[in-house]
Parts: sequence; C-alpha cells; structure tokens
Amino acid sequence: MPDTLTVTQAGHAVVQDLGRFGRSRSGLPVNGALDQYSARVANVLTGTAENAPLVEITALDFACTASADVLVAVTGAPADVTVDGARRAQWEPLVVHAGQTLRVSGIRDGLRGYLAVHGGVAAAYLLGSCAPDTILGFGRTLRPGDELTLTTRLPPIDHPVFRHPVFRLRPPVPRFGEPWTVDVTDGPEIAEFGASADRLFGEPFTVTARSNHVGLRLGGRVPRRETAGEVLSRGVPVGAVEVPAGDELLVLHRGRGVTAGYPVLAVVTTAGLSALGQVRPGQTVRFRRRAVEDAVSAHLAQHHAMRALHQRVSTVFDALRIPVLAR
Amino acid sequence: MDHGLRIADSGDSAVMVTAARGDEAQRWETVHALADAIEAAGIDGVHGLVPTYDTLLVEFDCVRVGHAVVRRAIAQAARQGRTRSRPEPARFVVPVVYGGEHGPDLAIVAEQLGLSEQEVIDAHSGADLTVRCLGAPAGAPMMDGPAFGKPVPRLASPRTSVPAGSVAVAGRQAVICPLPSPGGWPLLGRTPLRVLDLGAERLTAYRPGDRFRFVPIEAGDWSAHAGRGLEAVDA
Repeated sequence: MPDTLTVTQAGHAVVQDLGRFGRSRSGLPVNGALDQYSARVANVLTGTAENAPLVEITALDFACTASADVLVAVTGAPADVTVDGARRAQWEPLVVHAGQTLRVSGIRDGLRGYLAVHGGVAAAYLLGSCAPDTILGFGRTLRPGDELTLTTRLPPIDHPVFRHPVFRLRPPVPRFGEPWTVDVTDGPEIAEFGASADRLFGEPFTVTARSNHVGLRLGGRVPRRETAGEVLSRGVPVGAVEVPAGDELLVLHRGRGVTAGYPVLAVVTTAGLSALGQVRPGQTVRFRRRAVEDAVSAHLAQHHAMRALHQRVSTVFDALRIPVLAR
Repeated sequence: MDHGLRIADSGDSAVMVTAARGDEAQRWETVHALADAIEAAGIDGVHGLVPTYDTLLVEFDCVRVGHAVVRRAIAQAARQGRTRSRPEPARFVVPVVYGGEHGPDLAIVAEQLGLSEQEVIDAHSGADLTVRCLGAPAGAPMMDGPAFGKPVPRLASPRTSVPAGSVAVAGRQAVICPLPSPGGWPLLGRTPLRVLDLGAERLTAYRPGDRFRFVPIEAGDWSAHAGRGLEAVDA
C-alpha cells in the first residue's frame, strides 16, 4: 500500500507542474502553475525538484488527510493553514503526521495556493508534463475521496528538541493584494497604438470575471489601435497584452493559444506573470513600464534568491537527515 | 537588419523575428528554415519556436540564456540557411459537411463576400490549401485561405465553444479546429475526421508545407467517416 494524502475537501484544486515546455511549434500552450514563483518555492521548501507535481488550489478551501508522516509546504496567497486545527506557518516546511488533516482555507488577497509534498505526488504525464491542458482535455482535477500517492517515504525525523521541527527558512514572500503593480515591457507593435499606448501605464485596470488561465480580461480606459486591417497569425508570448475588441485589455497567460492575430502592445515580465496569476476578478491592476534589461535583472534576482533558498534547505535537511531530492 | 531579418524584443523571455526580404513564399520558407536551424543547433535555454507566415517567435529562459546570445544564434542560424531538406509535402483529403448546424456562418460569409453559398463551398473545396503553420488551438493546421477575392471578417463576438472538426476561415486564412475550444472565426462546415492523435508523440499527422483538400459530403454520410483519423493520401 503506497502512502497517500486523501482529499477530504477538494474546492478547486488540480495536480500541476511548471508546464509543458518545448511544444510551441506543435501549437500547444505551455500551461503550468499560474504563479510560477510560489509553485517553485513550495517544492524547494520540501527539498523537491522545482518542477515536481504539486497541488494548485484556486480560491476555495482544500483539505486532505495523510496516511503516513509527510513533509509539506504551502505557499501562494495568504490563507489559514492548519494541521488538525492547529495554526501552522505558510511559506515554511511543516510535518503532517499519519492520520492528521491539513487544511488550507480562507485564501485571500490573491487567488491561488500551492501545496508541495516531499518528493512530489504521483501524476500522469502527457508530453513531458502533468499540467492540465483544458483544450486537450488533459489533467487531474481533484475530488473529495481522491488519493494523492506519495512517491517517497519520509524517514523518522530525528530532532533533539522538537517532535515537530519548526523551520525558519524564510524564502522571500511576495506582496499579495491591491494595489497590484505588474511590470511590462514594450511590445513589438506598441507603435500601432500611437500616443494612446501611454494609457496602459497611467490608468488603473480592473480584472473582469471572464478571466482564467488562458488570459485575463481587464476593463478601463484602454489604448486604441491606430492602424486597421487583418494581421496574419503570428506567435505570441505568454504575457502579451492585446486590445482585441477595442474595449478591454486581454493579457495572455500560460494557457494561451500560441498564435493570434492582434498587435502586441506590451508584454508582462516573467516576475509580473506570477503576480498576475494571483489577481482576483474585481481587483485593480496598474502596469509599470520597464526596460527589457531591468525585467531580466528582476528575474535573475529572483533566481539567485531561489538558489540561496535551495542551499538553506539542503543545510537544514542534511542536519535533520531528511533526503534532499533536488539541489 | 541582417540577412533580411528584423528582430524585436517580445518581453524578457522572447524575441520576434520578422522576415522582411522576398515574396510571401520566400518569407514563409525563411522563418521555417530558421526554426529548423535553431532547433538543430539546440541552444541551451531556448524552449519554444513558433514559425507562422512571415514571423518566428523564439521563446527562452532568460536565466539560462541572454537576449544577446539568442540574437547572435538567430543570426548564425540565418547565415547557415536550410540545415535539413524539407520532407515531400503530404496531402490530406478532408470530407466536410457544409452549412446548416455544421457550418452556421456559411450564409453570412457568402453575403460578406458577395457570393452564393455554393460559390463559397466551391472555392473552399476547389483547390488544395497549403498548411503554413501549426497554431492555436492545439496544433490546428493554419492554411492559406481559399481564393475568395477578399478577406473574411472575424466574428464580432467570438463563440465560447466551437465543436471539434469545425472548418473555419478568417482574413485570408483557413483552419480546422482540432478540439472543442473558443473561437472567433466564421464556421463554414465540419469534418467528422479526428484531427489529432493524443496517443502519439507527434500529435498531428500534418506539417507545415502539407496540403489539404476539402471535399463536400452530405450530412447523411457523417457516420461513414466519424471517428476515422486524418491520414495522408498518395499525392
């Protein structure tokens, strides 16, 4: 019998990873965790490969019961994390003992939480990824009673003082909630919007309910395209900001179709995409214009912080004799 | 400008390459050959290539590879030219039920083009259409459109779900929608064939450069074709 987490409250949760890379040319979107930063940190905090399968919890409460001792971490938007009712820290590893129930409830300010498990959970793969693809009809949406199979067994944690080790690994935690500021760089066709392009950087935009993993739709005083005519389909990056119908912004996210026929006004930065993956319908976003070099620097800084976190995790886990499955 | 290519940043992790030299066919050939060469070079950190008509989107991880390196690699790939010969184009024959519930926009497209519905069907099924790229959604074959004389406007209000196998046109392009998905292109008809093979390593039987020939069938003949996969025929 493999060790498991049994889902007792599913809310809206899926088995997720960082995405299906390398398939753009075949017309497949990358998909994967909408807040890549939180997903990566959750896995790193459990000593697991950044791309290992984990649970993406969107908006609604989630709970599961462990059949064996398991080391987990919950990141993402602020939420109430409890083990058998006792409040536990988010953005730090924690141990759930056999028979105990982990709850993630009251997700607020942002939209998504990530639950990573030491070693990752077992998952079915399609073309190298377990990320759901709603067009292909692939992916695992969790339901009450479902079992998440653990892929490694946690050795008894030998800690001299605490039965429950308390970790203080302190990964950098982003700010969640309004006012959201999302960095963008100029898109290749920004000139087609003339002076009205500046509205993107000056005005607040409100995320509408018709937003999902494919793209976010935002209302506000949108820039106007000054050119007309049909644009031949071309590849569009994740993060592309378009004005398809003229009355709202469409910001493409990781489920976007790889081709589109609209000029690209701006492109959300990699760091900005993680923030955008957390914005709730009804919340307001401001876009901040950045140079490409600055966007790359911001992403590199995040990467270095992640390397440093990997090292702290390795040091602490080695001392506790918890296997580190990715360094 | 180098080798007739324009390269523009498209965010912190992608660049857009536009072929500016030659006619339509040459520009298409240029961006697809360039994608092949970049793929063959296996540049660390480059994880996505989207060649379409006259553009190539190159996606990369900016932690692993910088913009300058990517631009140099593109220029070098362009100097090399075609690295592998293009396979002989395959040909696919695709039965389509036009109009009615299968092609709810046939009448409006005919009206916009100033043609009869039969003339639209004749133009769409009267010649081989060349696949230019695999696009959204899900590796859809995007083709040069039929010789309608003028572009077809997109729908003012996109549908939230278009059935699998829908055959659509927009602008000067034509497409088959492989799986149910949202869409803003007018629908002329629908094929009973299965476009994708989700069990295969290559999801699609077709590649850019292949040709599709649409053949009108009666709605009553749908079940005779239903469930069959798309297969190349002898040219």
